Amino acid sequence: MSATMKLSRRSFLVGSSLAALAAPRLVSARGLLTDPKLDDIIKRALAAAKKAGASYADIRIVRHRRESISSREDRIERVSFSEEYGAGVRVLRGGAWGFAATPNVTLAEVERIARAAVEIAKANEKLLKRPVQLAPVAPNVDVWQTALTKDPFKIPLEDKAELLLAIDREAMKVKGVKFVNAYFAANAEWKLFASTDAAYIEQEIMRVGCGYSVTATDDKRGEFESRGSTFAPRQAGWEYIETAPLVAEARKIGEQAVEKLHAPSVEPGKRDVILDPSHLWLTIHESIGHPTELDRALGYEANFAGTSFATPDKLGKLRIAAPALTFYADKTTPGALATCGYDDDGVATQRWNLIDKGMFVAYQTTREQAGWVNEKASRGSCYADSYASFPFQRMPNVSLAPEAKEHSLEDIVAATDDGIIIVGNGSYSIDHQRFNFQFGGQAFWEVKKGKRTRMLKDVAYQANTIEFWNACDQLGGPASWQLYGSLSDGKGEPTQNNAVSHGCPAARFRKVNVLNTNRRTT
Amino acid sequence: MIGEAKARQLVGRVLARAPKGGDATVSVSSERRGNTRFARSEITSSADVDRQTLAVTVQFGKRSATATTNAFDDAALEDVVARAARMAKLAPESPEAMPALGKQSYVKAKASDAATAKLTPAARAKAAGAAIAAGDAAKLVIAGYYQHAITQLARASSAGLWAWHEATSASFSCTARTADASGSGWAETSSNRAADINAEALAKIAVDKATRSAKPKRLEPGRYTVILEPAAVVDLLGFLINALGARRADEGRSYFAKPGGGTRVGDKLFPDLVTLISDPTDAATEGAPFDGEGLPLAKTTWIDKGVLKGLTYGRYWAHKQSKKPTGTPNGWTLAGGKQTREDLIKGVTRGVLITRCWYLRDLDPQTILVTGLTRDGVFLIEKGQLAGPVNNFRFNESPIHMLAKCDAVAGQWISDSVRAPTLRTHEFNLASISEAV
Repeated sequence: MSATMKLSRRSFLVGSSLAALAAPRLVSARGLLTDPKLDDIIKRALAAAKKAGASYADIRIVRHRRESISSREDRIERVSFSEEYGAGVRVLRGGAWGFAATPNVTLAEVERIARAAVEIAKANEKLLKRPVQLAPVAPNVDVWQTALTKDPFKIPLEDKAELLLAIDREAMKVKGVKFVNAYFAANAEWKLFASTDAAYIEQEIMRVGCGYSVTATDDKRGEFESRGSTFAPRQAGWEYIETAPLVAEARKIGEQAVEKLHAPSVEPGKRDVILDPSHLWLTIHESIGHPTELDRALGYEANFAGTSFATPDKLGKLRIAAPALTFYADKTTPGALATCGYDDDGVATQRWNLIDKGMFVAYQTTREQAGWVNEKASRGSCYADSYASFPFQRMPNVSLAPEAKEHSLEDIVAATDDGIIIVGNGSYSIDHQRFNFQFGGQAFWEVKKGKRTRMLKDVAYQANTIEFWNACDQLGGPASWQLYGSLSDGKGEPTQNNAVSHGCPAARFRKVNVLNTNRRTT
Repeated sequence: MIGEAKARQLVGRVLARAPKGGDATVSVSSERRGNTRFARSEITSSADVDRQTLAVTVQFGKRSATATTNAFDDAALEDVVARAARMAKLAPESPEAMPALGKQSYVKAKASDAATAKLTPAARAKAAGAAIAAGDAAKLVIAGYYQHAITQLARASSAGLWAWHEATSASFSCTARTADASGSGWAETSSNRAADINAEALAKIAVDKATRSAKPKRLEPGRYTVILEPAAVVDLLGFLINALGARRADEGRSYFAKPGGGTRVGDKLFPDLVTLISDPTDAATEGAPFDGEGLPLAKTTWIDKGVLKGLTYGRYWAHKQSKKPTGTPNGWTLAGGKQTREDLIKGVTRGVLITRCWYLRDLDPQTILVTGLTRDGVFLIEKGQLAGPVNNFRFNESPIHMLAKCDAVAGQWISDSVRAPTLRTHEFNLASISEAV
């Protein structure tokens, strides 16, 4: 898959002095870098930071390319391409962070921002109570890139436009469908990271997504319902899009939009819910992924994203989920959106359990954070979404392991007396300590006496995280496990974006509080 | 920062490269932002960041495409114009394409403040220090965020458009939490002038709320009379503002659509005390004289004493419906009143005071039903007085209902760049308890 050619410590040391940074140490590892002037820029930026008094410095030179196309009904609405390039320098001085960034990647500018970053750290060190201490890191020198066969930026625009219009045409064939919106997006993130801890890492990450939403209307009653597709964005090339059944499924999705419009409104009450992986991934993201972020748990996000019920005193003691459930963090899963070779601290990525057989056992961490929970090394979860963004802890892919033996969603349905199947993501909301959540979906089916009977609408369930995960009594097997995810997850001030995937099997939860979300009927 | 003269030059260099037979629209932005974050009663990170963008839309008849770069050298300009032109030729025809916008006239709006633009990391650290000291004095844990920016925007086209606006902005927010994590308080404000922001005073509000909200009592879910402080009002109001588009109403998929056809414009939807305006000259609420397309914005009353006066029109929909485009309005104000928050509390026999909301999401676009949670200070009101802290709630409620059942508004405050009053409303659906603090 990826080009991983780690240089030995010895070969790195040959060129490790700042003066010799442009030495041939990367010649064999280099796969993507095209501009040798960048070696000089890196050398000068790190040297300027050191000279100004930094005890540690790193520089990220980052280029983002983004292409997006959107359509509605029979027309292309918007075609756009954007490119953003720049450099950010992060420093530690006296145990305080400073960060500055520029879109002008020149020798003079990177030296200026290196000095500016040190000045910021100086302004902050007086108010420091716990000076930053970075966990040790291997001196990684490497090149890493997404495994792909077709670069989406080289695929003709017409092919992408035609795909969206074909989806729209197929959905519009359904009687009662009035609107369709479709989109395609490709994001390429190239970055070169170097630090005074001897990292020199080049990576290119390619992410693609495509989706659509179909709306059916009943003009006489003045009502409408939408059904969105559930195609997962991935780290991949165009080959992932062109082989997906996007057009083939558009008619079915359109038919379900119409059926949903005329479906009965759900009767609220305690019901069993059977959650498809296209839905359950987001519940994992919100109720397991975010609470196990260490900065959040300790109060570093208290002013915005909030804190967490999973505080460090509960490590190894709190049962978050039923014993059959193990959740793992993993930035190495092929195709998953947060996968990469190294995080933005220069730490090699890894896989580890967050919740082992239902018990809370570990956090997501960065180099700064490892010592906060007495760990010796970072878990490699540091990320910045742009050259101009300060790197901090961001969620790796967090997934729920399947049951060992095969067990399908239909097997779960057959074993359910009175329940509701939920497919896709609708409205989602969770409190700032991750206890109380409420999730909707895209399509809902009633289950009676082991059979899927009819579609429902206006469904959401509201639960408490720990009660919910302990109410899980049926888990799908390996064949039902699917990888979903989102190209956008916000955290921090200023808010930064993160793309992240979550894999899971289908699962059943007993006696969950199901709500009716239609204000006209409540 | 690019400045107006250099921005004009840059636009000239781009338009000179525009392909023959095509229109070009250019958008330039240049910004410098500074921020300081603090948490656990110390500064945790701080940054000074420059950004710039150049977006070029090339249009051949009904075909168009946009390319964006953040490099302004000749090679980058060649590349971005050529890319937009190449993509535009490949793009399918859009029946909704409108010709490039020509010369416009704009209201005058002074929004830039030199002191805010020049704010230093040391000044930010001082403000953070004042907030932390307020927390230390009360033995509370402080977290917060101070940011400021100067932004320059230009819009231009081969058809003669030129729009230029420079603005500054600043905002400060602060959360105080009790050491036992049973109480939390928060305060925030924003302006185009950093001098309008008193970090210490905001921190004291947060500290007071945190202290008074410690060890909350259980209050059962249900429909309550509530007093929403301005931040909570703004959180919900945003969903109503976003639903003001005429197109969705005309298409029958909006609250503002009338069943059977037409829109609710002209209908009295709310009581007399509900008036909603947008004002491009109100710099403190990020008012600006033009929108993202360069369309001129005018001071507009959208809801006048409860009557819906109009909906927003983009260029295509306005053309199709023979209306004047409104652009995308900014500088929002929901009218306030002469009463104080305490006056509003005095009028409540039993109710709930809510400081702010969190994680709001659409539930039903047809009624603008929204779910969300309360946060950082929820208090029971009994017999006209605050009667102590209670748990947080998840609510399922609509801003339509909030305004329709509103019977009193107090003075205004700017939160998240919207000017809104503390507001009293009834039968507000606090649907379930949240254990979060």
